Amino acid sequence: MPESEILQGTLDLLILKSLALDKMHGMAISRRISQITNGAFEAKAGSLFPALHRMEQAGWLSSEWGESETKRRSKFYKLTRTGRSRLQSESQRWERISLAMASALRAT
Amino acid sequence: MLRALFQTLFRKKQTEQQLDDELRSYLELTTAENVRRGMTPAKAAQQARRDLGGMEQVKENVRDVRVGASLETFLQDVRYAIRSLRKNPSFAAIAILTLALGIGANTTIFSVVNGVLLKPLPYPNPGRLITLWETHPVWGRFLSVAPANFYDWREQNRSFDKMAALNAYPDYILTGTGEPHRLTGADVTADFFPLLGVKMALGRGFQAAEDHAVVLSYSTWERYFGARPEIVGTQVRLNDQSFTVVGVLPRDFSLVSKPSDFQARGQFDVWTNLGLNSPPEAWLRGTHPLNVFGRLKPGVPLQQAQADLDRIAANLRHLYPDDNKDKGIVAIPMEEHAVANVRTALFTLLAAVAMVLLIACANIANLLLTRAAARQKEMALRAALGASRRRLAQQLLTESAVLASVGALLGLALTLWSVPALVRHLPADLPRASGISVDGPVLAFTTLIALATGILFGLVPLVQSRDVRLNARGVSSGQSRLRSALIVGQVSLALVLLAGAGLMTRSLRALLQVSPGFRTGNILTARLSLPRRYANGYKFGTGAHRQISVFQRALADRVRAIPGVESLGFTSHLPLAGTNNDWSFFIEGRPPKPPGVFDSTDYRPVTAGYFETIGIPIKSGRSFEARDDEDHALVVIVNEAMARQFWPGENPVGQRLKFGDENWRTIVGIAGDVHHEGLAIAPVPEMYIPWGQVPNVEVRPILVVRSLIDPASLTSAVRKAVAEVDRGVPMDHVATMQQIVSGSVSESRFRTTAIALFALLALFVASIGLYGVMSYLVSQRTREFGIRMAVGATRGAVLRQVLQQGAKLAAIGVAIGLAAAALFGRLIASLLYRVKPLDAPTLVGVSILLAAVALLASYIPARRAANADPMDSLRYE
Repeated sequence: MPESEILQGTLDLLILKSLALDKMHGMAISRRISQITNGAFEAKAGSLFPALHRMEQAGWLSSEWGESETKRRSKFYKLTRTGRSRLQSESQRWERISLAMASALRAT
Repeated sequence: MLRALFQTLFRKKQTEQQLDDELRSYLELTTAENVRRGMTPAKAAQQARRDLGGMEQVKENVRDVRVGASLETFLQDVRYAIRSLRKNPSFAAIAILTLALGIGANTTIFSVVNGVLLKPLPYPNPGRLITLWETHPVWGRFLSVAPANFYDWREQNRSFDKMAALNAYPDYILTGTGEPHRLTGADVTADFFPLLGVKMALGRGFQAAEDHAVVLSYSTWERYFGARPEIVGTQVRLNDQSFTVVGVLPRDFSLVSKPSDFQARGQFDVWTNLGLNSPPEAWLRGTHPLNVFGRLKPGVPLQQAQADLDRIAANLRHLYPDDNKDKGIVAIPMEEHAVANVRTALFTLLAAVAMVLLIACANIANLLLTRAAARQKEMALRAALGASRRRLAQQLLTESAVLASVGALLGLALTLWSVPALVRHLPADLPRASGISVDGPVLAFTTLIALATGILFGLVPLVQSRDVRLNARGVSSGQSRLRSALIVGQVSLALVLLAGAGLMTRSLRALLQVSPGFRTGNILTARLSLPRRYANGYKFGTGAHRQISVFQRALADRVRAIPGVESLGFTSHLPLAGTNNDWSFFIEGRPPKPPGVFDSTDYRPVTAGYFETIGIPIKSGRSFEARDDEDHALVVIVNEAMARQFWPGENPVGQRLKFGDENWRTIVGIAGDVHHEGLAIAPVPEMYIPWGQVPNVEVRPILVVRSLIDPASLTSAVRKAVAEVDRGVPMDHVATMQQIVSGSVSESRFRTTAIALFALLALFVASIGLYGVMSYLVSQRTREFGIRMAVGATRGAVLRQVLQQGAKLAAIGVAIGLAAAALFGRLIASLLYRVKPLDAPTLVGVSILLAAVALLASYIPARRAANADPMDSLRYE
């Protein structure tokens, strides 16, 4: 079973990471997140879409309408320049935190 | 970001459509994937929907993160509020109107109070500006100052940066600019303008020893000199002398002063240099013409300055006992002195409008309560459908705020209209009236009131909606107690206002019924200013006024020839129109007084015919006759008050008195008392002297004409007659005696009218409130009344029951109101004339009026209840 509920604050980073290579629609982002976390996290529509809209308004993502695999009109998201630098800074921050957490938990 | 906000607010439909598309695409893609995994299409779609977790919920979540989401909700609430207010137009109209009137009246009066009392004086560092006066235990506290005393104050004080004096010179005649014009003038010491911090529009102020220099007011410069900038340095003719113009005052300059201090009310046309740079001659300690101003040194408190002045006063008493015996010095801030007489009246008006606003708020609260009760079901339903308490509260508050804003806007519009209208109707003797305008602070005040009221009455239904339950019905007892309390409050406040208005109306009527001591009908008056040369050859005590007498006789002949003129005379001061002269005298055969103690009274020069023309009766002896002139024995007429004070129990006719060094004068008659200072002020001792025998120069005769026709219609003929006698004599201040009497009570009439208007407004608003509550209570009890009537109660019984309920509320309100009215009466006691604050007829009268209106307001809903068909009542619900 997946961990399902994504840690607060990590969803943004996961979305940025998923979009690092190519533009994607919402459903693909959701699948990509569970893929890159080895199924540990699952982004449900109820939290995924608000996050996408929020990040778009913040200028991290841009969107365009295109055709999906099912020939249906779908909204595709991609990283903006701001989003890309955000991905970089967020990744570094996260690595520092996880290192710190790991060393904290190892301490006796 | 802005684009996002724009989309949220204005491209709402498109944004929603796109969100829908996006989610449908997601659903379809998920379904397709599920099918690929081997599910049946139906199962796949079902699983996808479950996966999505509720389309609407996802959408709602997305909407919440949108930029401007809270603004969006707010606008939605506003739209809803407007819609629901429009559904109930009479409620909305009454609420908005009540509020607009309350706020409008409040802001208007606040504008006046702000302009007159609260705004700092229009000079730099106005808090340090002080006026200084001589005081005397008998003669009074604010006496004008002797030049020699002023000189010593200025030299000896340690507390003032600057001290300056002003002598309100009666008038100047300006010639050389077409027709002669009479201008008001003031002599000031060179420090006067720097003390106030005035920056001249053109040129400069006075240098210390500069003689024959003049500073023009801006309006004089505009009116008589065409606003020519090259005026500075040129010569103008004033009283047949040449003066050099050194400066022009700024347009907005005026000397803020108590209106009774100067006839010109601080708006002097020309200013000349008073000098006083070297120690003045000794006699300048015995005449007291000056107004003195000071600017405190920074950091010196008023008490310290007062102590400093007390020291100087003690010194002067010691050095000059003849002139300064018992004299002290008092310092009072300029601002405080200017408004001292109107403070109570203005704060009374402010209190009155505040009560109107309170009543208005109570009314709105009651209306909203009534409405909230009617909407209990709606609220309960919305709560059941998932609206949170917070959301409901927000909605209710928005509705109140919309009401308050519309009310405030309307109120503001009302203010913008009424403030200028009010300023036009303000009594002439209100100080600082030019400072009144609708401005920033007033605007802020309105907004504050609107917001406070909005929140105040927005909260009342909130408290009530705490227990919104589906199927809740009927009135909880707490709620109806709140309503009843509001009504009682309204009724009692309305009573206070009505009582105040009643007292003031009775006071004004008493004032108008005072017999002034002269005739007011068919009398025209006009002031003439003779050039100074008419006084040439005048010598103290000789009564040499031939040239003036010649002018008066020539003019009298011409005016008497005008058709419609019955009689005429001249006086130096009209009753009820400004200041008096006073003069000290000795009575023959009385023991001499110690130094520094005099008998003195007001006196006025008049000509033969004056008493008959204005209708002042001669009670004993004779009136003045043509033969009482320069060449005949000196005579004087005293009034009854003077006879009573100086010859108690005796007949003064035939007795003699004298002024200074002149010959003895015989008292030839006693004139009736006249209210010279004001209708509310008891007549004071006065004497009249024939113009040809006045001991000093009087070159400003006021012509008084009694006519058989409308006196105002004589104006142009009189003006022509004056020009025929001497083209160089300006005539102004033309008024009928009726106008002068009416002008003298204008302040009292203004505040009475204002309070009466507010009281009527309060009565109206409170009765609407009572009507609204009684209607609501009746509608709540329709079922009960139906049952009662069904089991045999008569319509009369139902009617009586409802009326009783209304009467009970009104009675409690009246009782509390009477107690409060007693307190309010004490506040306004100083404004009342011959009416006691606890005037029984007034209090009983307004109680009956209020009770009658209250009963009428309950009668209409009561009749509705009584006339209802019992079956309808039972079917109701």
